[in-house]
Amino acid sequence: MFDPQVVRKDFPILKREINGKPLVYLDSGATSQKPISVLEAERNYYEKHNANVHRGAHTLGDEATQIYQGARNKVAKFVGGGEAEIIFVRNTTEAINLVAYAWGLDNLEKGDVVLTTIMEHHSNLVPWQEVARRTGARVEVVGITKEGQIDQQDYAEKLKLKPKMVAIVQVSNALGTINPVKEMTKAAHRVGALVLIDGAQAVPHMGVDVKKIGCDFYAFSAHKMLGPMGIGVLWGRREILEMMSPFLTGGGMIKEVFTDHSTWADVPEKFEAGTPNVAGAVGLASAIDYLEQLGMEAVREHDKEIVGYSLELLAQLPNIKILGTHDKSTRSGSVSFEYMGVHAHDAATILDSEGVAVRSGHHCTMPLHNHLGVVASIRASFNVYTTKEDIDTLVTALGKIKTIFGK
Amino acid sequence: MDMYREDVMDHYEHPRNQGELVGDDVVTERDSNASCGDMVQFFLKVEQGKIVDVKWKGIGCAITTAAASKLSEYLVGKKIEDIRKLGEEELVKKAIGFEINLGRSKCLTLPVKVVKSLCRS
Repeated sequence: MFDPQVVRKDFPILKREINGKPLVYLDSGATSQKPISVLEAERNYYEKHNANVHRGAHTLGDEATQIYQGARNKVAKFVGGGEAEIIFVRNTTEAINLVAYAWGLDNLEKGDVVLTTIMEHHSNLVPWQEVARRTGARVEVVGITKEGQIDQQDYAEKLKLKPKMVAIVQVSNALGTINPVKEMTKAAHRVGALVLIDGAQAVPHMGVDVKKIGCDFYAFSAHKMLGPMGIGVLWGRREILEMMSPFLTGGGMIKEVFTDHSTWADVPEKFEAGTPNVAGAVGLASAIDYLEQLGMEAVREHDKEIVGYSLELLAQLPNIKILGTHDKSTRSGSVSFEYMGVHAHDAATILDSEGVAVRSGHHCTMPLHNHLGVVASIRASFNVYTTKEDIDTLVTALGKIKTIFGK
Repeated sequence: MDMYREDVMDHYEHPRNQGELVGDDVVTERDSNASCGDMVQFFLKVEQGKIVDVKWKGIGCAITTAAASKLSEYLVGKKIEDIRKLGEEELVKKAIGFEINLGRSKCLTLPVKVVKSLCRS
Protein backbone atom coordinates (compact mmCIF):
# COMPACT_ATOMS: atom_id res chain seq x y z
CA MET A 1 0.00 0.00 0.00
CA PHE A 2 1.07 3.61 -0.54
CA ASP A 3 2.00 6.05 2.20
CA PRO A 4 -0.69 8.75 2.49
CA GLN A 5 1.93 11.09 3.99
CA VAL A 6 3.76 10.94 0.67
CA VAL A 7 0.52 11.23 -1.34
CA ARG A 8 -0.38 14.40 0.61
CA LYS A 9 2.59 16.22 -0.91
CA ASP A 10 0.88 16.07 -4.32
CA PHE A 11 -2.12 18.10 -3.06
CA PRO A 12 -1.20 21.81 -2.78
CA ILE A 13 -4.32 22.80 -0.82
CA LEU A 14 -3.38 20.50 2.07
CA LYS A 15 -0.59 22.94 2.96
CA ARG A 16 -3.19 25.54 3.93
CA GLU A 17 -3.84 26.72 7.42
CA ILE A 18 -7.40 27.26 8.66
CA ASN A 19 -7.93 29.49 11.69
CA GLY A 20 -4.21 29.28 12.36
CA LYS A 21 -4.20 25.47 12.40
CA PRO A 22 -3.06 23.07 9.68
CA LEU A 23 -6.01 22.05 7.50
CA VAL A 24 -7.37 18.60 8.27
CA TYR A 25 -9.68 17.98 5.33
CA LEU A 26 -12.31 15.39 6.20
CA ASP A 27 -14.96 16.41 3.68
CA SER A 28 -13.81 14.42 0.67
CA GLY A 29 -17.25 12.85 0.31
CA ALA A 30 -18.55 16.31 -0.64
CA THR A 31 -15.63 16.90 -2.97
CA SER A 32 -12.09 15.56 -3.00
CA GLN A 33 -9.01 17.72 -3.24
CA LYS A 34 -7.01 17.67 -6.48
CA PRO A 35 -3.41 16.60 -7.05
CA ILE A 36 -1.06 19.00 -8.82
CA SER A 37 -1.00 16.69 -11.88
CA VAL A 38 -4.74 17.21 -12.44
CA LEU A 39 -4.41 20.98 -12.10
CA GLU A 40 -1.49 20.99 -14.52
CA ALA A 41 -3.28 18.78 -17.04
CA GLU A 42 -6.17 21.24 -17.25
CA ARG A 43 -3.84 24.20 -17.48
CA ASN A 44 -1.74 22.48 -20.15
CA TYR A 45 -4.85 21.82 -22.21
CA TYR A 46 -5.86 25.48 -22.17
CA GLU A 47 -2.30 26.71 -22.74
CA LYS A 48 -1.48 24.43 -25.66
CA HIS A 49 -4.47 22.70 -27.23
CA ASN A 50 -7.67 24.64 -26.59
CA ALA A 51 -10.18 24.63 -29.45
CA ASN A 52 -13.73 23.43 -29.89
CA VAL A 53 -14.15 19.74 -30.64
CA HIS A 54 -15.71 18.00 -33.66
CA ARG A 55 -15.58 21.21 -35.66
CA GLY A 56 -13.41 22.87 -38.25
CA ALA A 57 -10.45 21.48 -40.13
CA HIS A 58 -7.65 23.04 -38.19
CA THR A 59 -4.88 21.51 -36.16
CA LEU A 60 -5.95 22.72 -32.74
CA GLY A 61 -9.50 21.50 -33.37
CA ASP A 62 -8.12 18.07 -34.22
CA GLU A 63 -5.89 18.05 -31.14
CA ALA A 64 -8.74 19.03 -28.84
CA THR A 65 -10.96 16.34 -30.37
CA GLN A 66 -8.28 13.71 -29.96
CA ILE A 67 -7.64 14.72 -26.39
CA TYR A 68 -11.36 14.63 -25.60
CA GLN A 69 -11.79 11.20 -27.19
CA GLY A 70 -8.64 10.00 -25.43
CA ALA A 71 -10.19 10.99 -22.10
CA ARG A 72 -13.36 9.10 -23.02
CA ASN A 73 -11.33 6.04 -23.88
CA LYS A 74 -9.50 6.22 -20.56
CA VAL A 75 -12.76 6.49 -18.61
CA ALA A 76 -14.22 3.56 -20.56
CA LYS A 77 -11.26 1.34 -19.67
CA PHE A 78 -11.32 2.51 -16.04
CA VAL A 79 -14.90 1.31 -15.47
CA GLY A 80 -14.93 -1.54 -17.98
CA GLY A 81 -17.35 -0.05 -20.53
CA GLY A 82 -17.17 0.57 -24.26
CA GLU A 83 -16.01 3.96 -25.52
CA ALA A 84 -19.36 4.71 -27.18
CA GLU A 85 -21.07 4.00 -23.87
CA ILE A 86 -19.36 6.83 -21.98
CA ILE A 87 -21.40 10.03 -21.93
CA PHE A 88 -19.80 13.10 -20.42
CA VAL A 89 -22.19 15.12 -18.26
CA ARG A 90 -21.72 17.69 -15.49
CA ASN A 91 -22.00 15.36 -12.54
CA THR A 92 -23.78 12.31 -11.10
CA THR A 93 -26.98 14.31 -10.64
CA GLU A 94 -27.10 15.22 -14.32
CA ALA A 95 -26.32 11.62 -15.31
CA ILE A 96 -29.29 10.34 -13.31
CA ASN A 97 -31.54 13.10 -14.62
CA LEU A 98 -30.50 12.13 -18.15
CA VAL A 99 -31.74 8.57 -17.60
CA ALA A 100 -34.83 9.64 -15.65
CA TYR A 101 -35.99 12.01 -18.39
CA ALA A 102 -34.62 10.48 -21.61
CA TRP A 103 -35.51 6.90 -20.67
CA GLY A 104 -38.26 7.50 -18.12
CA LEU A 105 -40.55 9.83 -20.07
CA ASP A 106 -40.67 7.39 -23.01
CA ASN A 107 -40.84 4.15 -21.05
CA LEU A 108 -42.80 4.78 -17.87
CA GLU A 109 -46.56 4.94 -17.79
CA LYS A 110 -49.39 5.04 -15.29
CA GLY A 111 -49.03 2.38 -12.63
CA ASP A 112 -45.37 1.55 -13.41
CA VAL A 113 -42.99 1.28 -10.50
CA VAL A 114 -39.51 2.76 -10.04
CA LEU A 115 -37.79 1.07 -7.12
CA THR A 116 -35.15 2.84 -5.08
CA THR A 117 -33.95 2.81 -1.45
CA ILE A 118 -34.30 4.97 1.65
CA MET A 119 -30.51 5.55 1.72
CA GLU A 120 -30.35 7.30 -1.67
CA HIS A 121 -28.84 10.73 -2.12
CA HIS A 122 -31.58 13.16 -3.19
CA SER A 123 -30.11 12.99 -6.70
CA ASN A 124 -31.24 9.37 -7.07
CA LEU A 125 -34.70 10.02 -5.64
CA VAL A 126 -35.98 13.44 -6.69
CA PRO A 127 -35.51 12.95 -10.49
CA TRP A 128 -37.54 9.73 -10.23
CA GLN A 129 -40.26 11.47 -8.22
CA GLU A 130 -40.45 14.16 -10.87
CA VAL A 131 -40.61 11.74 -13.81
CA ALA A 132 -43.14 9.61 -11.92
CA ARG A 133 -45.30 12.72 -11.44
CA ARG A 134 -45.26 13.37 -15.18
CA THR A 135 -45.88 9.80 -16.29
CA GLY A 136 -48.23 8.51 -13.60
CA ALA A 137 -45.63 5.99 -12.44
CA ARG A 138 -44.83 5.68 -8.73
CA VAL A 139 -41.65 5.47 -6.70
CA GLU A 140 -41.32 2.67 -4.15
CA VAL A 141 -38.60 2.73 -1.52
CA VAL A 142 -36.74 -0.23 0.00
CA GLY A 143 -35.94 0.10 3.71
CA ILE A 144 -32.71 -0.54 5.63
CA THR A 145 -31.72 -2.73 8.54
CA LYS A 146 -30.57 -1.47 11.94
CA GLU A 147 -26.99 -1.98 10.73
CA GLY A 148 -27.58 0.50 7.91
CA GLN A 149 -27.70 -2.06 5.14
CA ILE A 150 -30.39 -2.43 2.49
CA ASP A 151 -33.10 -4.73 3.84
CA GLN A 152 -32.76 -7.55 1.31
CA GLN A 153 -35.99 -9.16 2.41
CA ASP A 154 -37.85 -5.93 1.73
CA TYR A 155 -36.02 -5.65 -1.60
CA ALA A 156 -37.11 -9.14 -2.65
CA GLU A 157 -40.66 -8.29 -1.60
CA LYS A 158 -40.74 -5.00 -3.54
CA LEU A 159 -39.29 -6.65 -6.66
CA LYS A 160 -42.59 -8.55 -6.80
CA LEU A 161 -44.14 -5.22 -7.85
CA LYS A 162 -42.25 -5.78 -11.13
CA PRO A 163 -40.52 -2.39 -11.26
CA LYS A 164 -39.43 -1.08 -14.64
CA MET A 165 -36.37 0.61 -13.12
CA VAL A 166 -34.31 -0.15 -10.02
CA ALA A 167 -32.10 2.80 -8.97
CA ILE A 168 -29.64 2.09 -6.16
CA VAL A 169 -26.55 3.60 -4.66
CA GLN A 170 -23.39 1.48 -4.57
CA VAL A 171 -21.85 3.25 -1.57
CA SER A 172 -24.09 5.38 0.65
CA ASN A 173 -22.78 8.93 1.07
CA ALA A 174 -24.31 9.16 4.55
CA LEU A 175 -23.90 5.65 5.99
CA GLY A 176 -20.86 4.50 4.03
CA THR A 177 -22.57 1.16 3.39
CA ILE A 178 -21.25 -0.81 0.43
CA ASN A 179 -24.32 -2.37 -1.17
CA PRO A 180 -24.23 -5.76 -2.94
CA VAL A 181 -25.10 -4.17 -6.28
CA LYS A 182 -24.07 -7.19 -8.36
CA GLU A 183 -26.51 -9.53 -6.62
CA MET A 184 -29.22 -6.84 -6.48
CA THR A 185 -28.82 -6.21 -10.22
CA LYS A 186 -29.21 -9.90 -10.97
CA ALA A 187 -32.40 -10.06 -8.92
CA ALA A 188 -33.78 -6.93 -10.60
CA HIS A 189 -33.06 -8.32 -14.08
CA ARG A 190 -34.96 -11.48 -13.18
CA VAL A 191 -38.14 -9.41 -12.87
CA GLY A 192 -37.39 -7.48 -16.05
CA ALA A 193 -36.22 -4.18 -14.53
CA LEU A 194 -33.38 -2.04 -15.78
CA VAL A 195 -30.81 -1.10 -13.14
CA LEU A 196 -29.12 2.24 -12.56
CA ILE A 197 -26.28 2.42 -10.06
CA ASP A 198 -25.25 5.71 -8.41
CA GLY A 199 -21.50 5.22 -8.16
CA ALA A 200 -20.53 8.71 -6.95
CA GLN A 201 -19.06 7.44 -3.65
CA ALA A 202 -17.83 4.09 -5.00
CA VAL A 203 -15.61 5.02 -7.94
CA PRO A 204 -13.22 7.13 -5.81
CA HIS A 205 -12.51 4.28 -3.39
CA MET A 206 -12.65 0.91 -5.16
CA GLY A 207 -12.21 -0.72 -8.53
CA VAL A 208 -15.51 -0.65 -10.45
CA ASP A 209 -16.32 -2.81 -13.46
CA VAL A 210 -19.76 -2.11 -14.88
CA LYS A 211 -19.77 -5.37 -16.85
CA LYS A 212 -19.08 -7.38 -13.70
CA ILE A 213 -21.85 -5.57 -11.84
CA GLY A 214 -24.08 -6.26 -14.84
CA CYS A 215 -26.11 -3.04 -14.48
CA ASP A 216 -27.60 -1.00 -17.32
CA PHE A 217 -26.57 2.50 -16.23
CA TYR A 218 -23.78 3.70 -13.95
CA ALA A 219 -23.31 7.32 -12.89
CA PHE A 220 -20.38 9.09 -11.21
CA SER A 221 -18.64 12.47 -10.82
CA ALA A 222 -15.02 13.42 -11.44
CA HIS A 223 -14.78 15.85 -8.56
CA LYS A 224 -15.13 13.18 -5.86
CA MET A 225 -12.31 11.11 -7.41
CA LEU A 226 -9.52 13.72 -7.44
CA GLY A 227 -10.76 15.24 -10.72
CA PRO A 228 -12.22 18.67 -11.44
CA MET A 229 -15.75 19.91 -10.75
CA GLY A 230 -18.17 20.22 -13.65
CA ILE A 231 -17.59 16.87 -15.30
CA GLY A 232 -19.22 13.55 -14.64
CA VAL A 233 -19.98 10.34 -16.43
CA LEU A 234 -22.97 8.29 -17.38
CA TRP A 235 -22.11 4.84 -18.58
CA GLY A 236 -25.01 3.14 -20.32
CA ARG A 237 -25.47 -0.16 -22.07
CA ARG A 238 -25.08 0.65 -25.76
CA GLU A 239 -28.23 -1.03 -27.05
CA ILE A 240 -30.32 0.86 -24.49
CA LEU A 241 -28.65 4.21 -25.20
CA GLU A 242 -29.28 3.70 -28.91
CA MET A 243 -32.99 3.19 -28.34
CA MET A 244 -33.34 6.23 -26.08
CA SER A 245 -34.40 9.71 -27.11
CA PRO A 246 -31.90 12.49 -26.44
CA PHE A 247 -31.98 14.43 -23.15
CA LEU A 248 -30.72 17.87 -24.20
CA THR A 249 -30.82 18.88 -27.84
CA GLY A 250 -28.96 21.39 -29.99
CA GLY A 251 -25.49 21.53 -31.47
CA GLY A 252 -23.12 18.61 -31.46
CA MET A 253 -25.77 15.93 -30.97
CA ILE A 254 -27.40 15.97 -34.42
CA LYS A 255 -26.85 14.15 -37.69
CA GLU A 256 -29.05 16.30 -39.93
CA VAL A 257 -31.20 19.31 -39.16
CA PHE A 258 -34.13 20.51 -41.24
CA THR A 259 -36.45 23.34 -40.38
CA ASP A 260 -39.16 20.98 -39.20
CA HIS A 261 -37.23 18.01 -37.75
CA SER A 262 -33.78 16.63 -37.02
CA THR A 263 -32.00 13.31 -36.77
CA TRP A 264 -29.59 12.36 -34.03
CA ALA A 265 -25.88 11.63 -34.00
CA ASP A 266 -24.72 8.19 -32.87
CA VAL A 267 -24.02 7.50 -29.21
CA PRO A 268 -22.40 8.95 -27.20
CA GLU A 269 -22.63 12.29 -29.09
CA LYS A 270 -26.43 11.97 -29.18
CA PHE A 271 -26.37 12.77 -25.45
CA GLU A 272 -23.75 15.53 -25.50
CA ALA A 273 -25.49 18.67 -26.74
CA GLY A 274 -23.46 21.86 -26.89
CA THR A 275 -19.77 22.53 -26.36
CA PRO A 276 -18.44 19.92 -23.95
CA ASN A 277 -16.17 20.43 -20.96
CA VAL A 278 -12.97 19.29 -22.66
CA ALA A 279 -10.65 20.61 -19.95
CA GLY A 280 -12.77 18.79 -17.39
CA ALA A 281 -12.46 15.55 -19.34
CA VAL A 282 -8.69 16.08 -19.46
CA GLY A 283 -8.64 16.62 -15.70
CA LEU A 284 -10.70 13.49 -15.15
CA ALA A 285 -8.34 11.46 -17.33
CA SER A 286 -5.42 12.79 -15.31
CA ALA A 287 -7.19 11.88 -12.05
CA ILE A 288 -7.65 8.33 -13.37
CA ASP A 289 -3.91 8.20 -14.16
CA TYR A 290 -3.20 9.27 -10.59
CA LEU A 291 -5.54 6.67 -9.07
CA GLU A 292 -4.22 3.92 -11.34
CA GLN A 293 -0.68 4.76 -10.36
CA LEU A 294 -1.66 4.16 -6.73
CA GLY A 295 -3.67 1.10 -7.80
CA MET A 296 -7.36 0.77 -7.02
CA GLU A 297 -6.77 -2.23 -4.77
CA ALA A 298 -4.36 -0.19 -2.68
CA VAL A 299 -6.81 2.72 -2.70
CA ARG A 300 -9.48 0.45 -1.21
CA GLU A 301 -7.01 -1.00 1.32
CA HIS A 302 -6.13 2.49 2.50
CA ASP A 303 -9.82 3.44 2.62
CA LYS A 304 -10.60 0.39 4.73
CA GLU A 305 -7.75 1.16 7.10
CA ILE A 306 -8.86 4.77 7.65
CA VAL A 307 -12.54 3.79 7.99
CA GLY A 308 -11.57 1.07 10.48
CA TYR A 309 -9.33 3.41 12.48
CA SER A 310 -12.06 6.09 12.62
CA LEU A 311 -14.70 3.61 13.75
CA GLU A 312 -12.36 2.28 16.43
CA LEU A 313 -11.51 5.71 17.85
CA LEU A 314 -14.96 7.27 17.58
CA ALA A 315 -16.64 4.23 19.17
CA GLN A 316 -14.61 4.89 22.33
CA LEU A 317 -15.91 8.44 22.77
CA PRO A 318 -18.83 8.64 25.21
CA ASN A 319 -20.98 11.25 23.41
CA ILE A 320 -20.60 9.87 19.90
CA LYS A 321 -23.19 7.72 18.19
CA ILE A 322 -21.99 6.26 14.90
CA LEU A 323 -24.53 5.91 12.09
CA GLY A 324 -24.41 2.73 10.04
CA THR A 325 -22.30 -0.37 10.23
CA HIS A 326 -19.16 -0.77 12.36
CA ASP A 327 -17.83 -3.35 9.91
CA LYS A 328 -15.12 -1.75 7.78
CA SER A 329 -15.33 -4.54 5.19
CA THR A 330 -18.82 -3.35 4.16
CA ARG A 331 -18.18 0.33 4.69
CA SER A 332 -16.29 2.84 2.58
CA GLY A 333 -15.30 6.46 2.37
CA SER A 334 -16.83 7.99 5.46
CA VAL A 335 -18.01 7.74 9.04
CA SER A 336 -21.08 9.77 10.01
CA PHE A 337 -22.00 10.28 13.62
CA GLU A 338 -24.05 12.28 16.07
CA TYR A 339 -22.54 14.19 18.97
CA MET A 340 -25.28 13.60 21.49
CA GLY A 341 -26.83 16.82 22.80
CA VAL A 342 -24.97 19.11 20.41
CA HIS A 343 -26.30 20.12 17.01
CA ALA A 344 -24.13 18.96 14.11
CA HIS A 345 -23.65 22.53 12.85
CA ASP A 346 -22.39 23.70 16.22
CA ALA A 347 -20.02 20.74 16.40
CA ALA A 348 -18.75 21.37 12.86
CA THR A 349 -18.14 25.06 13.60
CA ILE A 350 -16.06 24.17 16.64
CA LEU A 351 -14.13 21.54 14.66
CA ASP A 352 -13.47 24.18 11.98
CA SER A 353 -11.95 26.44 14.62
CA GLU A 354 -9.38 23.65 15.07
CA GLY A 355 -8.76 23.43 11.31
CA VAL A 356 -10.87 20.30 10.88
CA ALA A 357 -13.29 20.40 7.91
CA VAL A 358 -16.27 18.03 8.17
CA ARG A 359 -19.74 17.99 6.67
CA SER A 360 -22.70 18.68 8.91
CA GLY A 361 -26.39 18.41 8.10
CA HIS A 362 -28.38 15.72 6.37
CA HIS A 363 -25.85 15.22 3.53
CA CYS A 364 -28.62 15.37 0.90
CA THR A 365 -30.31 12.34 2.46
CA MET A 366 -33.34 13.83 4.23
CA PRO A 367 -35.52 10.70 3.96
CA LEU A 368 -32.71 8.63 5.49
CA HIS A 369 -32.18 11.09 8.36
CA ASN A 370 -35.94 11.18 9.00
CA HIS A 371 -35.98 7.39 9.01
CA LEU A 372 -33.10 7.32 11.51
CA GLY A 373 -34.74 10.04 13.61
CA VAL A 374 -31.64 12.20 13.29
CA VAL A 375 -32.04 15.92 12.53
CA ALA A 376 -28.47 16.40 11.37
CA SER A 377 -25.24 14.45 11.62
CA ILE A 378 -21.52 15.04 11.31
CA ARG A 379 -19.67 13.25 8.53
CA ALA A 380 -15.92 12.71 8.35
CA SER A 381 -15.07 11.50 4.85
CA PHE A 382 -11.79 10.43 3.37
CA ASN A 383 -9.65 10.04 0.32
CA VAL A 384 -6.17 8.80 -0.56
CA TYR A 385 -4.45 11.68 1.26
CA THR A 386 -6.24 11.04 4.58
CA THR A 387 -3.88 9.93 7.36
CA LYS A 388 -4.44 8.35 10.74
CA GLU A 389 -3.04 11.58 12.18
CA ASP A 390 -5.99 13.41 10.58
CA ILE A 391 -8.33 11.15 12.54
CA ASP A 392 -6.33 11.72 15.74
CA THR A 393 -6.73 15.49 15.22
CA LEU A 394 -10.48 15.03 14.68
CA VAL A 395 -10.76 13.17 17.98
CA THR A 396 -8.76 15.84 19.83
CA ALA A 397 -10.87 18.59 18.25
CA LEU A 398 -14.07 16.80 19.29
CA GLY A 399 -12.80 17.22 22.85
CA LYS A 400 -13.13 20.99 22.46
CA ILE A 401 -16.90 20.63 22.06
CA LYS A 402 -17.07 19.43 25.64
CA THR A 403 -15.24 22.49 26.93
CA ILE A 404 -17.77 24.79 25.22
CA PHE A 405 -21.01 22.84 25.58
CA GLY A 406 -20.15 21.03 28.79
CA LYS A 407 -21.37 17.77 27.24
CA MET B 1 -14.97 30.95 19.47
CA ASP B 2 -16.66 34.29 19.84
CA MET B 3 -19.97 33.03 18.50
CA TYR B 4 -20.29 30.67 21.44
CA ARG B 5 -19.73 33.43 24.00
CA GLU B 6 -21.40 33.33 27.39
CA ASP B 7 -24.69 35.14 26.69
CA VAL B 8 -25.27 33.08 23.54
CA MET B 9 -24.72 29.84 25.44
CA ASP B 10 -27.00 31.10 28.20
CA HIS B 11 -29.84 31.74 25.76
CA TYR B 12 -29.18 28.34 24.16
CA GLU B 13 -29.26 26.49 27.46
CA HIS B 14 -32.14 28.50 28.91
CA PRO B 15 -34.21 29.68 25.95
CA ARG B 16 -36.68 32.47 26.82
CA ASN B 17 -40.34 32.58 25.77
CA GLN B 18 -40.59 29.04 24.49
CA GLY B 19 -44.09 27.75 23.93
CA GLU B 20 -47.20 28.48 21.89
CA LEU B 21 -49.92 31.13 21.89
CA VAL B 22 -53.51 30.71 20.76
CA GLY B 23 -56.31 33.19 20.15
CA ASP B 24 -57.84 35.46 17.55
CA ASP B 25 -55.21 38.12 18.07
CA VAL B 26 -52.30 35.66 17.62
CA VAL B 27 -50.44 35.40 14.34
CA THR B 28 -48.04 32.53 13.68
CA GLU B 29 -45.63 31.36 11.03
CA ARG B 30 -42.90 28.75 10.66
CA ASP B 31 -39.95 28.23 8.37
CA SER B 32 -37.05 25.81 8.11
CA ASN B 33 -33.53 25.65 6.77
CA ALA B 34 -33.29 23.08 4.00
CA SER B 35 -29.61 22.43 4.60
CA CYS B 36 -29.98 21.22 8.18
CA GLY B 37 -33.67 20.68 8.88
CA ASP B 38 -33.78 23.35 11.60
CA MET B 39 -37.29 24.71 12.16
CA VAL B 40 -38.58 27.78 13.96
CA GLN B 41 -42.18 28.84 14.57
CA PHE B 42 -43.08 32.21 16.10
CA PHE B 43 -46.38 33.23 17.73
CA LEU B 44 -47.04 36.95 18.13
CA LYS B 45 -49.97 38.33 20.11
CA VAL B 46 -50.79 41.70 18.62
CA GLU B 47 -53.01 44.38 20.17
CA GLN B 48 -53.57 47.63 18.29
CA GLY B 49 -50.45 47.18 16.19
CA LYS B 50 -48.29 46.39 19.21
CA ILE B 51 -46.67 43.04 20.05
CA VAL B 52 -47.84 42.26 23.58
CA ASP B 53 -46.67 38.65 23.88
CA VAL B 54 -44.22 36.40 22.04
CA LYS B 55 -43.68 32.66 22.13
CA TRP B 56 -41.67 30.45 19.82
CA LYS B 57 -40.83 26.81 19.35
CA GLY B 58 -38.47 24.90 17.15
CA ILE B 59 -35.55 22.59 16.73
CA GLY B 60 -32.16 23.95 15.94
CA CYS B 61 -28.52 24.47 16.68
CA ALA B 62 -27.19 26.69 19.47
CA ILE B 63 -27.07 29.67 17.14
CA THR B 64 -30.66 29.38 15.88
CA THR B 65 -31.94 28.71 19.40
CA ALA B 66 -30.09 31.64 20.97
CA ALA B 67 -31.10 33.94 18.10
CA ALA B 68 -34.79 33.00 18.45
CA SER B 69 -34.62 33.42 22.21
CA LYS B 70 -32.98 36.85 22.03
CA LEU B 71 -35.32 37.96 19.29
CA SER B 72 -38.39 36.92 21.30
CA GLU B 73 -37.25 39.12 24.22
CA TYR B 74 -36.62 42.06 21.95
CA LEU B 75 -40.01 41.90 20.24
CA VAL B 76 -42.21 42.26 23.34
CA GLY B 77 -43.65 45.77 23.42
CA LYS B 78 -42.51 46.72 19.93
CA LYS B 79 -44.84 48.06 17.24
CA ILE B 80 -45.35 45.81 14.20
CA GLU B 81 -44.84 48.88 12.02
CA ASP B 82 -41.39 49.52 13.53
CA ILE B 83 -40.28 45.90 13.00
CA ARG B 84 -41.54 46.08 9.44
CA LYS B 85 -39.35 49.10 8.79
CA LEU B 86 -36.18 47.37 9.97
CA GLY B 87 -34.11 45.48 7.41
CA GLU B 88 -33.09 41.91 8.16
CA GLU B 89 -29.54 42.90 9.01
CA GLU B 90 -30.69 45.75 11.25
CA LEU B 91 -33.01 43.43 13.12
CA VAL B 92 -30.19 40.91 13.61
CA LYS B 93 -27.96 43.69 14.94
CA LYS B 94 -30.56 45.23 17.26
CA ALA B 95 -32.33 42.13 18.53
CA ILE B 96 -29.68 39.44 18.45
CA GLY B 97 -26.46 41.39 18.58
CA PHE B 98 -23.87 38.82 17.64
CA GLU B 99 -22.20 37.83 14.41
CA ILE B 100 -21.23 34.51 12.92
CA ASN B 101 -19.32 33.28 9.91
CA LEU B 102 -20.90 33.18 6.47
CA GLY B 103 -21.51 29.44 6.44
CA ARG B 104 -23.72 29.70 9.51
CA SER B 105 -25.53 32.96 8.70
CA LYS B 106 -28.71 31.05 7.85
CA CYS B 107 -28.82 29.78 11.43
CA LEU B 108 -28.92 33.36 12.65
CA THR B 109 -31.40 34.69 10.11
CA LEU B 110 -33.97 31.86 10.23
CA PRO B 111 -35.91 33.32 13.20
CA VAL B 112 -35.52 36.83 11.80
CA LYS B 113 -36.99 35.78 8.45
CA VAL B 114 -39.99 34.22 10.19
CA VAL B 115 -40.68 37.36 12.20
CA LYS B 116 -40.15 39.68 9.24
CA SER B 117 -42.58 37.62 7.21
CA LEU B 118 -45.14 37.73 10.05
CA CYS B 119 -44.88 41.50 10.29
CA ARG B 120 -45.34 41.89 6.55
CA SER B 121 -48.62 40.00 6.43
